[in-house]
Amino acid sequence: MTDRLHIDSILTPDVLIIGAGGAGLRCAAEIGERRPGISVVAVTKVYSPQKSHTAAAQGGMAAVDPNDPVDKIIYHMFDTWKGSDCSADQNIIKKVCESAWEQILWLERHGMHFSRTEEGRIAKRPFGGHMLNFGEVKASRACYEADRTGKGIMDTVWGEALRHGVVFLNQSVATELLFRNGRCVGAVVFIEQNGKFVAVLAKATVMATGGKTRMYQVSSNCRQNTGDGLVLVLQAGLPVMDLEAVQFHPTGIVGPGILASEALRGEGGILRNKDGEPFMERYAPTAKDLAPRDLVSRCIMTEIREGRGCIHPDHKLPHVWLDLRHLPEYVHKTRIQEVCGFFCKFVGVDPQRELCPVTPTAHYQMGGAPTNEFGEVERRPGEIVPGLYACGEFAAASLHGHNRLGTNSLLELITMGRVVGERVATYVHDAEDAGPVPQDAGQHVFRRFSRYLESGGHERYAEIRKALKKLMTEKVGVFRTGEGLQEAVEELTDLKERAGRMALSGRSLVMNQELLQFWELDHLLEVSMVIAFGALARKESRGAHCREDYPKRSPEFHYHTLAYMTEFGKVTLGKRAIDMSIFEARGEHHEKFGIIERKY
Amino acid sequence: MSEAYELTLKISRYDPDNGRSWIQSYDITGGRILRFVDLFRKINDEQDPTLAWSSSCEHGQCGTCGLKINGKPLLTCELLVENAVRIFKTTTFTVEPLTVAPLIRDLVINMEEAYEKVHSVKPYILRPAPEHPDGDEYRILPRVLETYVEATRCINCFSCATACVTRKNYLGPNAMLANIVRLMDPRETAKQERRDILYSERGTPRCRTAQACSYVCPKDIDIAHFIALAKEGEFE
Repeated sequence: MTDRLHIDSILTPDVLIIGAGGAGLRCAAEIGERRPGISVVAVTKVYSPQKSHTAAAQGGMAAVDPNDPVDKIIYHMFDTWKGSDCSADQNIIKKVCESAWEQILWLERHGMHFSRTEEGRIAKRPFGGHMLNFGEVKASRACYEADRTGKGIMDTVWGEALRHGVVFLNQSVATELLFRNGRCVGAVVFIEQNGKFVAVLAKATVMATGGKTRMYQVSSNCRQNTGDGLVLVLQAGLPVMDLEAVQFHPTGIVGPGILASEALRGEGGILRNKDGEPFMERYAPTAKDLAPRDLVSRCIMTEIREGRGCIHPDHKLPHVWLDLRHLPEYVHKTRIQEVCGFFCKFVGVDPQRELCPVTPTAHYQMGGAPTNEFGEVERRPGEIVPGLYACGEFAAASLHGHNRLGTNSLLELITMGRVVGERVATYVHDAEDAGPVPQDAGQHVFRRFSRYLESGGHERYAEIRKALKKLMTEKVGVFRTGEGLQEAVEELTDLKERAGRMALSGRSLVMNQELLQFWELDHLLEVSMVIAFGALARKESRGAHCREDYPKRSPEFHYHTLAYMTEFGKVTLGKRAIDMSIFEARGEHHEKFGIIERKY
Repeated sequence: MSEAYELTLKISRYDPDNGRSWIQSYDITGGRILRFVDLFRKINDEQDPTLAWSSSCEHGQCGTCGLKINGKPLLTCELLVENAVRIFKTTTFTVEPLTVAPLIRDLVINMEEAYEKVHSVKPYILRPAPEHPDGDEYRILPRVLETYVEATRCINCFSCATACVTRKNYLGPNAMLANIVRLMDPRETAKQERRDILYSERGTPRCRTAQACSYVCPKDIDIAHFIALAKEGEFE
C-alpha cells in the first residue's frame, strides 16, 4: 500500500454532517437554533453547499394549510399511504404530515420566496396522487416557489447554516465511517482539492448524501449521485432498506433526462401518444395525468412498447409527448418558466407552440439507510447504532414505502432534517467525546485507493460505465422479470471483476477526477447489486417495483427489504415490519389505512 | 435533422503537481444537440481521462459548470454544439476557467474563495419582521414580490463576476444582488445594515455601469437594473 495514503489531520467538531443538501442543512439549522454552541462540520461533494442537488427540485412541497376550508391532514396521510402501495411506515406518515405546515412557515419566516396568491398568502397547486376526500378529487396542497422550489429551500437552509457558523468541507467525500465499541464516532474524509485525508471525530454523525440513480441511462440525478453514502453504510456491516424501490419520474426531457416537473401536469399539461391521444384517461380515469409517478411511468412505457410512442430524431430514444400549448401565457411565464426554458435550451422546442418530448427518467430512491422515527440509523429492527443518524432521500424511515408522491420528498427532507437536528442537539449535550482516532481508521479506503493507484489492467472505465447503465435500464428498470434480474446479478459480477482491471492514467491525489470516478463506479456497481438482489427476492409488484412475472401485490411480501453486503455479491436479506400504527389505533378513518386497493 | 460537427477545443490545462500550465487541443466529433459538458465527458471517455472539469446538475440550476468559451463566460451544460457554432461562427473553441478564484486543476477552480464575497453580504434575513397579526405566513402581495423575484433566481455561477469590468475591491454583481434581494424583501428589517454594505467602498461606488453582468447572465436576470436602482437611491 502506497505511503501517500495516510490520515493527514484531525478535526473534532461536536457534529459531522455528511452531505450538505436540504436535509443536512435543515438539520444543521435546527442544531444551531437549539444549541448555538455546538460545532458542526458539513462535508459536500460539490463546489459549495448551494450547488447541492436539492436546488434542482422544481414543483413543490406538500402541506395541508390549517386555513384551507376543504383539505385535511388525514387526506394527505391517506394519499401518502395509498401512494406507497401500503408499504410506508404509518408512524412516519403521521409525524411528517402533521408537522408539514409548521415547516413551511419555518422556511417562509427564514426568507424562502414562495409564490403568492392575490391576498399575499402562500400559493398552492395540485400534484400527482394528492387528493381530497380519500381519493375523490385533486387537492391543491403543494406550496411552491415557481418551478424552483428546491432552490428556494436550498438557499434558505444554506443561509441559516452560514448564520450559525457551520464549517464546510467542499469538494470533499466521506470515505469510511469510524466506530468505537459499536458507536459511530465520525468518518474519514478525502479532500479532493488537496488530495488529503482528514479524520473527523464527532460525537454525532448525520448522513444526508441524497440519492443515487446514476447507474441508469436516463437519470435526472446530478453527476455526484453515485451511491457513496449507501456504500459507507454497507461496508460498515449495516443494512440498507427497500433499495429495489427506484422511482422513475414519468417526464424526463428526452436525452439528458432532465426533469420536467410534475407541476407541468399540475398546471394542466396533458400526456399524448404519437396519435395525439390523451392516453392517461384510459389507465386512470379519475386522476388521469395526475396519477402517481410509478403508474404514469408504466403507462408511458406501455404506450411505447405497444407502438404508440415516437423516436426522437437526435437522441434516437423512444418518447411520448407532453402538451403545454393550451396553458395561458402567464402560466408559462411565471409558474413554469425554468422548465419551459429547459425544453428550449436542450431540445430546441418552444412549449407554448410545440409538443415536448418526454420519457421516464430514473429519479429517486424510496429506500435508503433504515432509521426509526427520530432518524437514528438501525443496525437491525429496533436496535440503533449510537451516534449515527440519517435524513432526507438517503434515509428510509420510511415515508415513501415503494412509491413516493411528488412534493413529499422536499417535505420529508425539511421535516425529518429538523427532527434529526433536534435529536442530535440533545444527544450531543450528554454524549462522551468521540475519543482518539481509531487505530484502523482509513484502512478500508486506503485499500480501495491503493487498488486504483496500483492496478495495471486494460479495461476501460467508460465501457464498464456504459454497460452498467444499459444493464440496469434494461433489466432492473421500470419493468422487471425474474430471469432478467438473475442475468443482471451475473452480469454485475462480471462488470465488477472487469472494474478491478482498470488502470489510471494519472496517479496524483489532487483533484484527480479519474481516481474519484473509479471509486464512484465501484459504488454504482455495489449499489446496483443490492438493488437487483432485492428486486429478485421480491416476487410481487409493489409501487415502483414492477415484476412482470408477478404482476400483483402479495401479502406475503408485506414488509421492508433489509439488505447487508460487506463482500461484493454476497447479499444477506432480512425483513423489517411495516408500521401500521394508524390502522391499529382504530381511530376515525382507520379503515383507510389497512391493506387497501390502489386505483386512481 | 441530425447532424454532427467536427470541432476543435483548445482547453486550458494546469497541473498542480508541477505547476505547469499549457493549452491542449482536442479534435472531437460533436452531435448537433450535444452540450459542452457532454463533449468534456467524451474527451474523458475517448481521448484523455486526466482532463478535470466541473459540473453537477447539468441543466443550468446549480451554476457549477461556468467556463469562458471563446472569452465569454457561460454555463457549459446549456451550450449546445449547434448553438455554439452559430453564436461564435466557428468550430474552434477556446475553453478557459472562470477568473474569479484560484485554479485547482485544469478547468476546476476553488469556488470557495469566490463565494467569500457572497458570504460577506450575509445571504439570509438578518432581523425578520414581526409576525402578521393573524398569524401564519407573512403576507407578500404578488406585485411586491414581482419587483424583486427575478433577483432571487441567481444561482451564483459567477459568470457576471467574470465578465464585470471592475476587477478589484468589488463585491461583484452576484453578491450585490444577494444583498439587494434582502433590501427589497419586506421581511428583512435590518435595512440600515444592508445599506451600509450596499454603499460601502466595495459596493455601488465600484460599479461602472458597463452592464456586462446583465449581458452574460445565463438566467437572463437584469442585474444592472437592480444595481441601478441602488445607485438611484431606491433603497435609501
